[in-house]
Amino acid sequence: MKSSRLGEFEELLLLLVGILEEDAYAFRIAEEFEKQTSRSVSIGAVHSTLNRMGEKGFLKSEMGEPSATRGGRRKRIYYITAIGKKALENSRDLRVSLWSQYPAFASNKWSLG
Amino acid sequence: MDNKDQTENAPPKWAETFLLWFLKDDLVEEVLGDLEEQFAAQLGHRTPWQAKVNYWYQVFNYLRPFAVRKMNWTQLNPMFMFRHNMLLAFRNFKRYKSSFLINLIGLSTGLACAFLILMWVRDEVNFDKFHSNEDRLFQVFSNQATSTGINTNGSNPDYLARTMAEELPAVKYAVAVSPPGTFEDNSTLSIPGKVTKATGQFADKDYFQVFSFPLIQGDKAEVLKTKNSIVISERLALKIFNTTEDVVGESISWGALRFSVEMQITGIYENPPANSSFQADYVAAFDGILELIHEVRESTWGNFFPNVFIVLADGVDEKDFAANTKNFIKEKDEASITSLLIQPYSKGYLYSRFENGQVVGGRIDYVYLFSIIALFILFIACINFMNLSTAKATRRLKEIGVKKAIGASRGSLIAQYLWESILISLCSLLVAVAAVRLVLPQFNLITGKDLVFGFDPQLILLFIGITFFAGILAGSYPALYLSGFKPATILKGKINSSIGEAFARKGLVVFQFMLSIILIVSVLVVQEQVSFVQDKNLGYEKENILIFPFEGDIARNPKAFLTELRKNKDVKYASYSDHLLLGHNNSTSGINWEGKEEETHIDFENISVDYDFLELLDLEMTAGRTFSAERGTDDSTLIFNEAAIAVMGLEDPIGKTVEFWGSDREIIGVVKDFHFESLYEEVKPLVFRYNPKGAMQVYVKIEKGKDAAVIASVEKLYQRFNKGYSLDYAFMDANYQAQYISEQRVSILSRYFAGFAILISCMGLFGLAAFTAERRLKEIGIRKILGSSNFGIIQLLTKDFTRMVLIAILIALPLSYFLTQQWLKGFAFHTELKPWYFIVAGIAALVIAWLTVAFQTLRVANVNPASCLRD
Repeated sequence: MKSSRLGEFEELLLLLVGILEEDAYAFRIAEEFEKQTSRSVSIGAVHSTLNRMGEKGFLKSEMGEPSATRGGRRKRIYYITAIGKKALENSRDLRVSLWSQYPAFASNKWSLG
Repeated sequence: MDNKDQTENAPPKWAETFLLWFLKDDLVEEVLGDLEEQFAAQLGHRTPWQAKVNYWYQVFNYLRPFAVRKMNWTQLNPMFMFRHNMLLAFRNFKRYKSSFLINLIGLSTGLACAFLILMWVRDEVNFDKFHSNEDRLFQVFSNQATSTGINTNGSNPDYLARTMAEELPAVKYAVAVSPPGTFEDNSTLSIPGKVTKATGQFADKDYFQVFSFPLIQGDKAEVLKTKNSIVISERLALKIFNTTEDVVGESISWGALRFSVEMQITGIYENPPANSSFQADYVAAFDGILELIHEVRESTWGNFFPNVFIVLADGVDEKDFAANTKNFIKEKDEASITSLLIQPYSKGYLYSRFENGQVVGGRIDYVYLFSIIALFILFIACINFMNLSTAKATRRLKEIGVKKAIGASRGSLIAQYLWESILISLCSLLVAVAAVRLVLPQFNLITGKDLVFGFDPQLILLFIGITFFAGILAGSYPALYLSGFKPATILKGKINSSIGEAFARKGLVVFQFMLSIILIVSVLVVQEQVSFVQDKNLGYEKENILIFPFEGDIARNPKAFLTELRKNKDVKYASYSDHLLLGHNNSTSGINWEGKEEETHIDFENISVDYDFLELLDLEMTAGRTFSAERGTDDSTLIFNEAAIAVMGLEDPIGKTVEFWGSDREIIGVVKDFHFESLYEEVKPLVFRYNPKGAMQVYVKIEKGKDAAVIASVEKLYQRFNKGYSLDYAFMDANYQAQYISEQRVSILSRYFAGFAILISCMGLFGLAAFTAERRLKEIGIRKILGSSNFGIIQLLTKDFTRMVLIAILIALPLSYFLTQQWLKGFAFHTELKPWYFIVAGIAALVIAWLTVAFQTLRVANVNPASCLRD
């Protein structure tokens, strides 16, 4: 069955979808991903992952407005669902918990809200 | 301009078409939109070309499961069936290990034989084909219409090449080349302090233009231009100078027989490749050897020596040229009987035998022979597979019935069985390749080749092709046969094994054994012929005769050396001749006699000898005497052989005078015909003359059993006369056998391949016997209970096979008689076919078949009826 855990790439994409809000469609997400991480990625790879997370229920999507730069074609805008949000939080909490247990950092007065 | 802009700034059309081809319909809009937006963004900071490449990259990245449209079910079905078939095939192999093993061993042996033969054939066929002028490079042959038939010869008049090059615009280059064996490997090249033996040839100036042997140093148009220039091979340069640098310009002293010439090195060529018939260590300017020849004779249109190679100019038609130059020599010399024949140079290796002025064969015969053997063996192996799979059909009846009942089409069943056989042949391919690698060194040893099994795409493709061919051939009959069953009847348990089917299977076994028997007979005949040739009474004694060339000081003073030699009491005779006796070496038509008709032209093999030579060879005189030192008058005498006397039509020849090269000579003797050429040829006319200048090869007849002692003392004597040279001797009988080296190789190879063919046939028979025995186990149990003896059972089981082999024998013997008869016809002198070859082959086949079946039969005959009837 489909796992509710997030992979690293999935997590990043999910966050980007949240950041980009109304502008969250495959090309923009890929572009933003390259900008923020300095890693190159193909639109296909992004699209495939978005599609998978849609199937898992982390994302939902609907077709947006057509624009001229796209040859009058519409784009598919993605939104994070409640389950997606929950998965992101779980993922973050797990990390924070692990970070705080790491002795080298535990003494470092890290405070994470 | 606008138009161009538009195409430049639009995404690549082909990428889009491709994308639309595989992309799911409901994704098209968003994906195309995204890609176009990205393309536009790319155009902002990259060249259009980069943007397009990127677009392609993006398109390929959409080749993901989620985005690719579902292909039709019918399109995916083959994949599914393929997996299913593979699985069934593997299960079958596992379940019936013995028949799998028999098939595997049989097919892989067959494939290995076929591969070896293929490699050999490919090497043979590609021989001498690497020259860049290949399609316009020809060799010129002289056809001499003598009264005894047309003799075709690679030797031509000395100036033929030069005259052709000068006079015929159709000839781009023409070169005369001394025949490869001119100095019998015994020329020497020496620099101060070093004498090296080397084989070499003399050639006209354009030699390196005609043949593509790349020069490491020197200009190919210049190197042979001046007299006494010499071009040496890389390996010879390394041998003499230990380097290829700064060798050009060095002088080197060339020596052979009694000659010695100072030469100038003008170039170095790369070592010739293994598939070149030219393998000499040096090429020297032809003028050098002409000078030596002119000491003995003149260059006329009637004296023949060099091989001639020509390159035709572009656009010249070979046939026209051949027709126009046919009478080239006759136009120069009206008395000539020689017409010219041209043959593509690369053909010369495979087609070297001429009859009546036409090419009739040569090594190509062996190429055909072995190709046929390869096909035979492969076919025999395929038959094994067919037989075993059809015989075992009963075991798979249920499978076929169920499949058909639930709607399998005949085509898919055929595909299944074909896959099974292809799979097994692919397994065999692996085994065969391993086997080929393993035996290749041995194979090279037998064939005298230097084959390597490296990464050669063409060869690999051929191997795979042959494998598939064998797989399909082997699988075709079982596939058609098994898929033809009617589901209703076979599910009921009835096997409708028609007469036709049993007939086909038996027919295949018969065919298999027929091929094997033909191979056995052929091997026997080839062996017999080879030993016939080796042991045939040639009319002269070739045992205990030592041969070595005159060289250095010995060549300058042969008499003194021979006198010393004759003092040794173990030396029966010591004499010399101007060449090795074997083969066609030197001939003349310059003999006239009383009553000779104007148009009569006879080519006499012309041998210069010393006293004692005829005694040394133990040649029988039918009339007259031999040359004798006591008389001292033999400068003006001749001895002919019977064949010569017969064609001249002389009666009572002794004492008659004939004109030899313009001077009168007396016939003092007639020698009985002896075979100086290969046994492919009839004995040709021959003349001996006493000639003190003809001292080229020393012949020493040794007392039997004293070889070692005599060789040692000859060596000592040799050193005394010839400091710095090493004695390079050969035995005449060994030389004689070397003439038939390819026959020997064929004989050995055919023995091996016939052995394999029989082995494979037997494996098939073994499998069949095992199967029959197993199927009739119950029957045998009952028979035994009812009182049948073991012998009776054996008889019962063997009867069928015996009958098949007998039929095979009946068909094979006449066929093999016919085939071997044809082969033997190629030899002027050959062994006769004797009945025992056929009897032996027949009995051998029968006995082998019985032995093969015996193991199974005995096991079954001894079975305890209680145990086999229990279940």
